[in-house]
Amino acid sequence: MSSINASLSIGMQALEATQGALSATSNNIANADTPGYTREVAQFSENQESVSSSGVNGGGVTLSGLQSVRDELLNLQIQQQTSLQSSVDTQSSTLQQLQSYFSSTGGGDIATALSSFSTNLSQLSATPADSGARQGVLSSAQDLANAFNNTSSGLTSAQSDADGQVTQTVAQINTLTSQIAQLNGQLSQMTATGEDGGTVQDQRDELVQQLSTLTGVAITQSSSGETITTGNGSPLVMGNQSFTLQTATGTNGMQQVLNSTGANITSSLQGGQLGGAIQIRDQVIPGFLSQLNTLASQLTASVNAAQAKGFDSNGNAGQDLFSISTNPSNAAATMSVALTNPALVAASSDGSAGSNGNLANLSATLTNSLPSGQTPAAAFASLVFQVGNSASNATAQSTAIGLNLQQLTDQQGSISAVNTNEEATNLMRYQTAYEAAARIISTIQQLSTVTLNMGTSGGY
Amino acid sequence: MRINPNMVPDMLSAIQQSQSTLQTALQQVSTGKSVIVPSDNPSASADMVQNTIETADVDQYTQNVSSVLSTVQTADSALSSVVSSLTQAVSLGIEGANGSDSASNQQAIATQVKGILSSVVSQANLSYQGSYVFGGTASTQPPYTADSTSPSGYTYNGNNGVNSVPVGDHMSVQVNVPGSQIFSNSSTDVLGSLSSLVTALQSGNTAAISTATTNISAALNYVSQQRVIYGNTESQLNAQTTYLQQDTVNLASQATSLVGVDMATAATNLTQAETANSAALAAASKVVPLTLLSYLSTPS
Repeated sequence: MSSINASLSIGMQALEATQGALSATSNNIANADTPGYTREVAQFSENQESVSSSGVNGGGVTLSGLQSVRDELLNLQIQQQTSLQSSVDTQSSTLQQLQSYFSSTGGGDIATALSSFSTNLSQLSATPADSGARQGVLSSAQDLANAFNNTSSGLTSAQSDADGQVTQTVAQINTLTSQIAQLNGQLSQMTATGEDGGTVQDQRDELVQQLSTLTGVAITQSSSGETITTGNGSPLVMGNQSFTLQTATGTNGMQQVLNSTGANITSSLQGGQLGGAIQIRDQVIPGFLSQLNTLASQLTASVNAAQAKGFDSNGNAGQDLFSISTNPSNAAATMSVALTNPALVAASSDGSAGSNGNLANLSATLTNSLPSGQTPAAAFASLVFQVGNSASNATAQSTAIGLNLQQLTDQQGSISAVNTNEEATNLMRYQTAYEAAARIISTIQQLSTVTLNMGTSGGY
Repeated sequence: MRINPNMVPDMLSAIQQSQSTLQTALQQVSTGKSVIVPSDNPSASADMVQNTIETADVDQYTQNVSSVLSTVQTADSALSSVVSSLTQAVSLGIEGANGSDSASNQQAIATQVKGILSSVVSQANLSYQGSYVFGGTASTQPPYTADSTSPSGYTYNGNNGVNSVPVGDHMSVQVNVPGSQIFSNSSTDVLGSLSSLVTALQSGNTAAISTATTNISAALNYVSQQRVIYGNTESQLNAQTTYLQQDTVNLASQATSLVGVDMATAATNLTQAETANSAALAAASKVVPLTLLSYLSTPS
């Protein structure tokens, strides 16, 4: 037979355990909408039963701890997809901005300017001596040069925006990695003392998630804690130690990213805003710019050569219509109209003011192939296609990754998120358990009273 | 199986998706275009570059046709009046060569022919929209000026240049015939023959009058032949007008098929997008407030 006191202590333990479970449930409910919060489940375990001469007695219950319910592999997948998506989104948003320079809806683009240059040449050929028509050719040439300037400056300013983003992102990465290292330290202490560092782990996972929107990371778990490196293996966090990335101006004037040992890791960074910004800054935009510059310099050379074949209104040999920087990387930005006097348009093929013979040569510059093998319109059209295609690919990719991510997040939610219905059920369960445990105590109390009063006159 | 209790992100993404579809549909209906930025359809946008340029070119060709046509018609009617002047001069020459004609009558005829000469000169110096039609490409100065040292009495200041104006991608038409070819070429000299008829009439030299009249008659034939060039140009231009109109229609329909929308489809899409959007919103409003707690009675 066990003692009444043993039952009292079992009741006591039950009350404590249920209280703990209730507190876990309340905490879950309270954090139902906290980003990154992982639900915690109360872990009960039965106590060692006691064996006495009178038989075996149950030992009661203990709340052995709170277990957060998480799937590390899923978290890892989510981080990878997040990196990919934020890289694609960074590129997509820049490309969307760039598109306006290649769209003819607003006018002022190179296609519109090319067509206006072409029609003005054609108009002048009907009235070669008309100074208004000559002025028209000069103005449309000016528009064409402006269109090249604007498109080029649109591209370079997007490039320098991306460059600024690199510096900012690196600073954010450094802040995050130092916070993560600190939390890693706390976590390893807690693990050492056998605690479930659920809250700290939630915080750290949330920060790692933020970090993965900034750059692609590789995460490995070891006995010393979590190690986070960039995609190419430069360390960011090892246990409770963080390694800062640095930026330095490179030879091309763009910010280069250096790892903690000072090695340039710019080209190997992939994923996240940083990877996206570097990709757009060092690969995508330079590709567009070089085609634009080639088109500008070849068109300039071709038009100027056609000018030289003819004569202006004064009977002099045609002078250059466009001037351009000799530096090929600066061609589109520096394209300008060299002539201000409409009489200097070399329309004439025989030196007389009324001849339009050379206009056919000038017009042919727009319909003949440039040294690149394409007509100016086709070269620009191919650029339009590339910009549009890159933008539409980036958007499509982002949508696809978004769907994937949504599915993964759903899966993660099904494991780790707080379901208020479930918690409400738990609340009722623990409430009943608490009431029952309390009833044990009050029953024992009554029994004790009866026992104590045995043999007194008062009786029961 | 445990499901994700947090429906807000899914719901939000459904709402965002339906809103973005709605926005696209609305934009297509309101602009009448399916391609606003290149990423909407990269290859159509690239094709539109060529289409934009060709459309503008065709518009300009159409303008060129009408401007060239009026120049050519002006020149042609000038030549037509030259032809009738020369016809008149021929009959006057025949009259003057008649031996029975009195000297005073010959003087009167000479005056008439002089008038014809100056009328022909003024036609040869015709200026249209500030440029001299028969001066070749030297069209900024009057092609014929009086010159007593010249046998014909006039000097040609123009040149032999010919201008061609593009009226199609691979088509140009000749817009002028230089005066040197019409009025003062080596075989026939309109102004010279008229001048010599005047001189012959004034001197009463019947044989010279006959020779001059024969020359004028030859010149008359020659000028008539030159008018054919203008006539050809005119008929080419008229044919080209029809072609350019057709081309404009083709290019416009190409542009529509590249970047335009079919209004019926667009309107249907819009209605569908509206329905989908309101369904997503309605679903969200029903799902969010539901929890077990709503059904549990509050402990009294």
